[in-house]
Amino acid sequence: MTDATATQRPARAQVAPAVIGFATVTATLLLAELLIQIGAINRYIVPPPSEVIEAFRQIVVEEHIFRRFLLTAAECLTAGVMLTLCGVASGVLMHRFRLLQRACETWVAAMASAPLVLMYPLFLVIFGRNALTIIMMGFIAGLPPVILKTIEGITATRKVLVDVGRSFNLNATQQFWKILFPAALPTIFVGVRLGLIFALINVVGTEFLINYGGLGQLITDLAERYDLAGTYAAICVVILVSVLFFMALERIERWLRPVD
Amino acid sequence: MATTAASAGDAILVVDDITVRFETAEGPITAVDDVSFHVKPGEFLSVIGPSGCGKSTLFNVIGGLLSHHQGTVTVAGETISSPHKSIGMVFQEESTFPWRNVTDNVAFPLELVGMPRDKRIALARHFIALVGIDGFENRYPGELSGGMRQRVSLARTLAAAPKILLMDEPFAALDEQTRLLLGDKVLQIQQQLKQTTLLITHNITEAVQMSDRILVMTYRPGKVKRIVDIDLPRPRTSEIVGSEAFGRYVAQIWNDLREEASRGMRDEESHVLHHHHGGA
Amino acid sequence: MAETGRLRGAAAAGPLIGPVTLLRAAIILGVLALWEFLAHSGWLYRDVVPSLSAIARALVALLLQGEYYFNLGVTAGEIGMGLLIGGSAGLVVGIVLGANRFLSKAFEPYLYYLGPTPKIIFLPIAIMWFGVDTPSKIALGTFSCFFPITLSVAAGMRQIDPVLIRVGQSFRANTLQMVLKIYLPAMRHPIINGLRLGFGFALIGTLLAETRLSNKGIGFLIIRAYDTFNMPRMYAMLIVLFVLAIGVNALIGHLGGLERIRRA
Repeated sequence: MTDATATQRPARAQVAPAVIGFATVTATLLLAELLIQIGAINRYIVPPPSEVIEAFRQIVVEEHIFRRFLLTAAECLTAGVMLTLCGVASGVLMHRFRLLQRACETWVAAMASAPLVLMYPLFLVIFGRNALTIIMMGFIAGLPPVILKTIEGITATRKVLVDVGRSFNLNATQQFWKILFPAALPTIFVGVRLGLIFALINVVGTEFLINYGGLGQLITDLAERYDLAGTYAAICVVILVSVLFFMALERIERWLRPVD
Repeated sequence: MATTAASAGDAILVVDDITVRFETAEGPITAVDDVSFHVKPGEFLSVIGPSGCGKSTLFNVIGGLLSHHQGTVTVAGETISSPHKSIGMVFQEESTFPWRNVTDNVAFPLELVGMPRDKRIALARHFIALVGIDGFENRYPGELSGGMRQRVSLARTLAAAPKILLMDEPFAALDEQTRLLLGDKVLQIQQQLKQTTLLITHNITEAVQMSDRILVMTYRPGKVKRIVDIDLPRPRTSEIVGSEAFGRYVAQIWNDLREEASRGMRDEESHVLHHHHGGA
Repeated sequence: MAETGRLRGAAAAGPLIGPVTLLRAAIILGVLALWEFLAHSGWLYRDVVPSLSAIARALVALLLQGEYYFNLGVTAGEIGMGLLIGGSAGLVVGIVLGANRFLSKAFEPYLYYLGPTPKIIFLPIAIMWFGVDTPSKIALGTFSCFFPITLSVAAGMRQIDPVLIRVGQSFRANTLQMVLKIYLPAMRHPIINGLRLGFGFALIGTLLAETRLSNKGIGFLIIRAYDTFNMPRMYAMLIVLFVLAIGVNALIGHLGGLERIRRA
């Protein structure tokens, strides 16, 4: 059903900006390498990119990067499952009991704008310096968007679809499970995506802050050992994982809502 | 390609051999082909044509917003390659600044050239009264109707005292009654200020009522099909609008347009067929 | 229909003590009662859930303490500075990217994908580059707020009604005039929204940096309360922090909403 007249820019124009962008980044790295090697930039503050790349190899081998990655991923997954279940359930409940929604929705929105991660010292006390603190941090950070988007998705179901259900004499439960909820799924997934992203950010951030866990803890470790290149490399690894995670979520979302 | 006998010497706007080509997904198209005409000071010239005849392209070229063309546009001797201070443009779409009130909207061009505040407010007020929206100086465009917003746009353009007023279907988005009232207003102002005006339109009645001459364009590639002298007395009262002579002008132009409009429709249809066939 | 994701003012019009208010009061009272119960139950380690009176006392003591306001000032200054630098840079870069399709395609993806990453992990670098004191906190705040502001502004630029740009061009406005008189006013909503997000991220970035390595600021006070196991004080500080953060967020959002009332 695609329109054959969709703008078909010459392939060159589509690729050129991406090439320029990538070339600029590479050129900057090369320039940095040069400036550091000739001493214009202090190599004890900014390690040359070549050393950072070497450190990459080192941390992959010596620092059990894969095990750390799995740990972080497990924490994130746990938090993710929790926030999805609780978030969607809360959202559904709040939609079902309109009074509850009117009372609490602004509170949830306020929580979404609050610096929840600042509670990590509190969680340290309550849960201890372990994975539970990290998971809980990811959980509460990612919860508000799921709740809000669930409510939004269910409430915004097109009226005509609701009318179709009524015309088939569906009762409230059937109406919900067969019409409202499926129609809300794309928006709910947007909320889950946001929740997962916040969860990952807070999981890694908390690992860094409390010096426990997987990838985030690696950075703290290397920084305390004054392994400069290693610290930079570890940060790059975390950023890379983060970016890939974000891209994967985007792909999944696009796959789930092909027609909009 | 008939042109009137007016000599280019006393023209204030000379459009000479304008050709505009675009690259599109389906290959190069010629929007405007070899269009030439001139406008005398104080004259009201309408450019009329079917959709797709390139009149908006022509508007952008004369206004200096489109420099990728062949041929020249000259205003009072100077060639145009970018927006010129002698040309004022009124656009078809909503173009008032929603964050400024009416006075500040109208005073905008005066602000740009650094006119002191008191002077520009006074001048803005003058033009606000001229277009007939006095009393609304402190309102915001969001509070006004479509017709009133177009008056604000008109006042804003007039405030810059352009030698030539260039309007691209300024009444297209308005309902019929508002359009008639606004058209009368524009005509009244034009006669009062002796403002040289170039109006792009697709409304034949409007064109005949307001213009001294009408330039009829062909369907793409847009060429000058005919230039018609409207030899009707001013002011163009409703009597004149209802007269036989008026009707003859309208019929003549409609004849020309109908040919072009049908060509346009056939072209559109074959376009749709061709691409559906390819895309199914 | 509820408006989600934006902080709106009071609930829908109706009786002053309507069912919504009653439910909210009931929930709050219920939570407080549960809290007090837990505090006195002895199930949890002493002071992990302090009694409400202990928290209230700590709150009062905090708000009467000069030292608190000093540290609040330090943190506010750091956040303000971070927003100023990150915001200005974000505005400029956002305008450039928004105005130029090519540059946007070349560089904006980097900003878009680097945006949702934890910025606190850059703290070791910030400390190496800027030292242990205030500048590193400002650096982290700047870095945190730069991305949402830039992306908001770039998107805002692309959403400006093209006819408004043509109006400016037809009146021969120079670049500065275009930016000040057309781009910025036309983008006031995306800018304010970006500012709201930027504030939130700058706040988090700065505070987290203070908890890790600092000797002043609210973050430092929180960690000190943790180190000395002064839980009532920690709770008090978190409460004040959240109230302030939510309040400023709502205030900035309201600034954006004010426009809407005037344009009615």
